[in-house]
Amino acid sequence: MYELQQVDKHFPGVHALKAIDFKIGRGEIVGLVGENGAGKSTLMKVIYGAYQPDGGTIAVDGKAVRFHNPRQAMDYGIGMVFQEQSLITNLTVAENIFLGFEQQFVKWGVINWKEMTAAARAQLAKVKLDIDPSMITAKLSFAQRQLVELAKVLTLEERVDGDLVILLDEPTSVLAREEVELLFQLVRDLTSRASFIFVSHRMDEVLELSDRIYVMKDGEVVDVVAQREAQVETIQHKMVGRDIDKEYYREQKQLDYERTDPLVSFNNVSRAGGFEDISFDLHPGEVLCLVGTEGSGREAILRTVFGMDAPTSGTVTIKGRQVTRFTAQNGVANGIGYVPRERKIEGIVNGMNVYENMTLSQMDKYASNGVLRIGEEKALARDWIAKLGIKTPSEFKDCAGLSGGNQQKVVLAKWRSGGSDIILLDHPTRGLDIGAKEDVYEMVRAMSADGVGIILVADTLEEAIGLSHSIIVLKDGQFQQRFEGMPGSKPTLFDLVHHMI
Amino acid sequence: MKLESLKPHFPWITLVVLVLIVGLINPSFFDPSSLILLVADIVPLFIMAMGMTFVIYIGGIDLSVQQLANVVTVVATVYLANFGVGVALIAIVIGAAFGAVSGYVTTRLFVPSFVSTLAMGFVALSMAKWLSGQRALAMDATMRNDSFGWMFGSTAGIPNELMIAGVLLTIAWFLQARTTFGRALKAVGAGELAAVASGLNVDRVKIIAFAISGVFAAIAGLMFSVKLSGGDANLANGFLLLAIVAVLVGGTPLTGGVGGVVNTAIGTLIVMVIRAAMVYLEVDATQQQMVFGIVLIAAIALTIDRSKLRGVVK
Repeated sequence: MYELQQVDKHFPGVHALKAIDFKIGRGEIVGLVGENGAGKSTLMKVIYGAYQPDGGTIAVDGKAVRFHNPRQAMDYGIGMVFQEQSLITNLTVAENIFLGFEQQFVKWGVINWKEMTAAARAQLAKVKLDIDPSMITAKLSFAQRQLVELAKVLTLEERVDGDLVILLDEPTSVLAREEVELLFQLVRDLTSRASFIFVSHRMDEVLELSDRIYVMKDGEVVDVVAQREAQVETIQHKMVGRDIDKEYYREQKQLDYERTDPLVSFNNVSRAGGFEDISFDLHPGEVLCLVGTEGSGREAILRTVFGMDAPTSGTVTIKGRQVTRFTAQNGVANGIGYVPRERKIEGIVNGMNVYENMTLSQMDKYASNGVLRIGEEKALARDWIAKLGIKTPSEFKDCAGLSGGNQQKVVLAKWRSGGSDIILLDHPTRGLDIGAKEDVYEMVRAMSADGVGIILVADTLEEAIGLSHSIIVLKDGQFQQRFEGMPGSKPTLFDLVHHMI
Repeated sequence: MKLESLKPHFPWITLVVLVLIVGLINPSFFDPSSLILLVADIVPLFIMAMGMTFVIYIGGIDLSVQQLANVVTVVATVYLANFGVGVALIAIVIGAAFGAVSGYVTTRLFVPSFVSTLAMGFVALSMAKWLSGQRALAMDATMRNDSFGWMFGSTAGIPNELMIAGVLLTIAWFLQARTTFGRALKAVGAGELAAVASGLNVDRVKIIAFAISGVFAAIAGLMFSVKLSGGDANLANGFLLLAIVAVLVGGTPLTGGVGGVVNTAIGTLIVMVIRAAMVYLEVDATQQQMVFGIVLIAAIALTIDRSKLRGVVK
């Protein structure tokens, strides 16, 4: 009933969706899996109308349609349950359920609250949630809010004639095991009312719930498997699309590091609301990987090393000297380079060109008495454009117009050209295509060989294992386990996951 | 050719079109000697707008400039007898101090710049009223001519006022385009978070930007005071709106990051031409601010970078 044919979507520098064929039948539950950056979220946005495809057709019941916004998609029965919840917490449950569709309860310009509350109760009954609709949403538990979201989407049933398609984006990521069970049971029951598209990175859950599974990789659907034929290993293999061999992560280039004077030492460092009692040493040439789920404290540790956040207790020592002032300026002065996850916001300055971005952290080296020696800046930029193979017409190009991989190279060039010997990488390959990822891996090895100490928060566990010398597993800000990972004796995925959850 | 790629050229195209229109209405507009006088007349406003550019470039605004100029006219008139040319230094120090305080309040106390500078403006206004005893003061003519007469002579047919404007524009441009401060200013305006993550002292950059705005406002006030040979707490009223208009129609949007002082020079000329047009069209002086209010809204709506506005505009 809902179908995508040969759907294409381009972004500047990225071919995000390549000729996607996708369909879902009445009452079906379809799983959607893929690595980060495989195109799952882009595909979902096309399905619920947030993005318009630039090629191919969308058909509902065989008729071609075009959605200009999510509201139009809703008119065709397509609704989205958001991962980051979209409920407004200071409104009541009933107000949230009918947000934007209050008109049906309005008489003489006034809302009939009784009627709305009764209608909300009926919606809540669909998801078997027994709460008072006039409660303030902030008082609900996370799992309850998730169900309210679902109830909100199910109001489409009354508004729309045709069949419903409901997207569930990582609905289980913050639920406890028994809550997940309840949700799954509910979804199965609701298939009499709607079809579901289920997106999750928990492979076992996708296998359990879905009738069919679409496997995505690099913007393509590489396989569609029926539930009874599905096996975790084969799907994983297809998601990655290659043997995650030693070559991919440049393991043959992984050298041992010197266990001499550490570059960074954490001694029982804590930061309120971030992490607790963390200790580690980072040595020259070492790649130290912090592994954990979202919110486990990985990013907070990186920001504390850099100096953007100050710890609440414990001592941080950088190159033998205890840090007393925690500012980014101090971090940069200590030779630390930070490659943030939000590349377009914290990494590069949109609106500044390649050479301006590269010297931003080290302007004083290219200035006499505050006056810039722009010729030298340009020479530096040309040098690093050649060294890292940055694809840009010239050093005058605005970095906003470069592709993600090339922006990342500019950020790395900024720190490496400034002589930083401690590099913090936060999801350095997020949103990059395969070739650009391999370039980043190559650079990690090259920096490591130069004696640079690297702390990495990787995009995937495979990446973490492949790149690192040592791995620290974190959970809820607490240290769980440490693994050594020289080539040949690397921990397995299972070893890590076991400690993460 | 997309509209977006034409955007940086809007200001000078606007200027040329306006000049041609006004010239058609009144061909005597092109008379060189009167044109030069017209331009020279707008120099204090231009200097004020140039200082304001630095603050708007980092996404802030300075609403204190007019009141700062007011207090400087009073200070200059009161202390001319004691210090002579030295009042210029006093004026600059006052401007820098007021600006730096606004900057400090904005960056360290997290008060939005439109509130902090508005408040500092009232402080300046009140100071001006107190110092002047709410009277219009006059400068001693000989002392004025001895100390600042050079401001209003002319050299080789070009009014010295224009020379001063040119020198200040060159300094401001150099600061903006060739120094580490200017580069940091650009980074803060275009991508503040990336500037922080690159280890720049963003707070210091911002405070300096406000201080520069204060200094330029003070210089504008001084020139205006000397020009009118006196000072009072309301002398520079009417400058604020025009200064903001000049910066924005010049092509430095409220969201910052693009534009600069050369743009503001063009913007000031646009303001001048609109003002001249209104004189030819016999628009009453009291109605002119209505026109500029509307021009301001149009300029903001046209230049603002919507992708930089996060969340709701309140």
